[in-house]
Amino acid sequence: MEALVDLILNSYLVFVVLYFIGVNLTYTVLLAISVREIINHMRHDRFSNYRLIVQSELTPPVSILAPAYNEEATVIQSVKSLLKLGYGKYEVVVINDGSKDQTLAQLTAEFEMYRSRQVYNPRIEAKPVRGIYKSRLPEYKNLVVVDKENGGKADALNVGINVARYEYVCCIDADSILEDDALQKVMKSFLEDEHVIAVGGIVRIANGCEVVNGRVVKVGLSNQLIPVFQVIEYFRAFLSGRMSWQAVNGLLIISGAFGLFKRAAVLEVGGYKHDTVGEDMELIVRLHRFKREKRQPYRIVFVPDPVCWTEAPDTVKVLSRQRNRWHRGLLDTMLIHRKMFLNPQYGVIGMAAMPYFVFVELLGPVIEFFGYLAMVVLLIMGSLNLQLGILFFIVALFYGVMYSVGAVLLEELSFQRYPNPRDLALLLSFGVLENFGYRQLTAWWRVKGIWDYFRGKNAWGSMQRKGFSTSKK
Amino acid sequence: MPLQFLILIVLAVAAAILSVLTAIVVVIRKTIDRNRAKTQARLYQIYAARCSELLLTDLPPLPVDSKPSSLFLQYESLIEPTKRSLAGMVATRRRVHREALQQVLVDFAQDISGDSSRRLVYFFYTLGFVDEELRLTKSRRWWIRANAARTLGLLGAKKAIAALTALLEDPHPDVRHQAMQSLVKLVGPDALRTILRISRNLSRWSAIELSVVVSSFKGTAVPYLIEALRSRDQSVVLFAAEMLAEIGLVTAVEPLMHLIRTTIDTTIQAQSLKTLGRLGDERARNLVADLLKSKVQPVRLSAMEALGKISGSEAVEMLKPWLASRLQEEKLVAARALATTGVEGIAVLRAARAENDELTAAIADQVLEEFGAQREEA
Repeated sequence: MEALVDLILNSYLVFVVLYFIGVNLTYTVLLAISVREIINHMRHDRFSNYRLIVQSELTPPVSILAPAYNEEATVIQSVKSLLKLGYGKYEVVVINDGSKDQTLAQLTAEFEMYRSRQVYNPRIEAKPVRGIYKSRLPEYKNLVVVDKENGGKADALNVGINVARYEYVCCIDADSILEDDALQKVMKSFLEDEHVIAVGGIVRIANGCEVVNGRVVKVGLSNQLIPVFQVIEYFRAFLSGRMSWQAVNGLLIISGAFGLFKRAAVLEVGGYKHDTVGEDMELIVRLHRFKREKRQPYRIVFVPDPVCWTEAPDTVKVLSRQRNRWHRGLLDTMLIHRKMFLNPQYGVIGMAAMPYFVFVELLGPVIEFFGYLAMVVLLIMGSLNLQLGILFFIVALFYGVMYSVGAVLLEELSFQRYPNPRDLALLLSFGVLENFGYRQLTAWWRVKGIWDYFRGKNAWGSMQRKGFSTSKK
Repeated sequence: MPLQFLILIVLAVAAAILSVLTAIVVVIRKTIDRNRAKTQARLYQIYAARCSELLLTDLPPLPVDSKPSSLFLQYESLIEPTKRSLAGMVATRRRVHREALQQVLVDFAQDISGDSSRRLVYFFYTLGFVDEELRLTKSRRWWIRANAARTLGLLGAKKAIAALTALLEDPHPDVRHQAMQSLVKLVGPDALRTILRISRNLSRWSAIELSVVVSSFKGTAVPYLIEALRSRDQSVVLFAAEMLAEIGLVTAVEPLMHLIRTTIDTTIQAQSLKTLGRLGDERARNLVADLLKSKVQPVRLSAMEALGKISGSEAVEMLKPWLASRLQEEKLVAARALATTGVEGIAVLRAARAENDELTAAIADQVLEEFGAQREEA
């Protein structure tokens, strides 16, 4: 019996080693594609005069949709910052998703809102709207506040899409900080190619940055460990992952914190799905599915430099909840659209992007976690093949180090948002350090996410916003 | 196992070394770039001072009957020491110095005019910058062609007009755009005729880029835009129609009406109707009213919108039946069009608030609010 267990566990370790090698190769390919894409993007960007978007009367107007639930600490500053963006014609639609705090009261008082008689056209089904408010003050005439019954972020966004006046909708989190030119930069992709239906921008971590009047004025790293680790993770996800997948129109996610959509395309697929925790990813996969089934030409694009800053969790507890939820969302999306998996009808999505997300992103943490477990058991049993053990560690650690360091270098080669050399050195060190504990911890949270999903736990988990009002956190 | 083990270890170590080497290369490159930027900044200052001197130096007045070449000889005497100093440098150093000098000249060219501007153009030619950039317009790399097209415009190199015209048909949109901008700088509004004639499948972005150029010419651009209404390319016609609305000269009314009557493209019809609405000329009233009966919804909606702006109170009776449409969008556009007609339209909307049809009443209410009529009433 012991020999059988020994054989199974050792064989599993061999499998994990081979898996890591496969994943490493995939990451190398993704990184190489990203480098090429970013260089192309930067060359192209040299000749782009974004001021034209602000100057021209032909620029299409945009509706910015900001769902807010119990955001009284930050909502006024966030809305004021959104109202000052560098863009031609746009409206800001704040959707109060049945907040239990003073979110609505603060908005109506600060912006002198009155109850408007605008007709609500529920083209996407959502929770009832209690009222639509507009400002009496001329300087805020492009602000609309919608008060609705609580239904979650996806439901709030659907209401926002129903209320939006314009052809393009920008979905963001109420506490997101958009850079002044962010809207111009994401809009350019739509203007260059009429087949583009959705564009995502990069999301960066604001913890440690200096924020004044809802604008990031100085970029820096947090003094706490958890946010710095997340900076590296975001580099990996955005600069390498999304940049490379968009090159082959295989982008499966546009962050809920910042994405611009053609309203007609979102309406066509019925808006956000409100009974999933990964509504942002699910919408993108559904858009791919719809367009490919209808054989309509389309593109979903990621642009690496229109920046949206967001507050990242700075405690292990909140971060664990967030990662757990992200993983449940990923699993849910993959199960909802399992028909597309390895189905040639869906082209690169079915044959490459979804298999990557299932085998690397979804199952990766499970395989890794059980690899560590098998090692421990074999060690206790005293039958660990030493060579295999060493190999496992080398490959397991290297797999993280290479990709993380690569992502930091990609940032350094391109946008260099962290001007301080100390920050660069710190990021490179954290790219190595995160493989000793942090990565294993996130793997555990993600494994737990899968477990919770199958146990029927479907909660979002909350994050207490601290607000950006203090200049440096 | 030992052999496979060894191979894997070697591969892992090799990849790790590769990562480290890449990191080192990046750091070295950053240091080199920083030093290069410092050198460039220093050289820029030196050449900026020298150029200011070259532009401000008073030249002796030339006799009235002197040949044009005499002026060039004077300019040549100014730049000659710089040329000599560059010729004495080794190739690498000369390249860095020429880059800095070219940058200074280009920056200066954007802010000056008159004799100083002529001097600068002469310097560009005599230092070989124009020929150099002309050669680069044939590069295989699009970004080099785009940069050359931009620089030639900034240099004011009329010699480059033919090359830039050829670049209007470049496969890369950035190159086409830079060529277009430069041609406009060199030729003025007349360049629009060529640009609009050559343009095909204008993306929205290209249209926006072009719109800023056209807007800067205002009324001068109208004849070229009217000519572009005859283009076979839908995107060019739509662009011309939109820009005519922006510029707002009523000379465009007849050509637009002719276009609406003759085209079978309903997108062009709808856009032209919107333009007619914005121009607000009564000559178009009957044509617009006829198109209220179009079977194509976007054309009908554009006709309603235009009629409200053109006809005033006379449009009220024509628009009123559309308030009873079954489609919410049509009700809304009709209500907004009624509101733009003036007092009578507003009165119709006020009356509609008492309608049995809840949607019509609600839309009338919304539009009255949008137009501020409700608050005035209160």
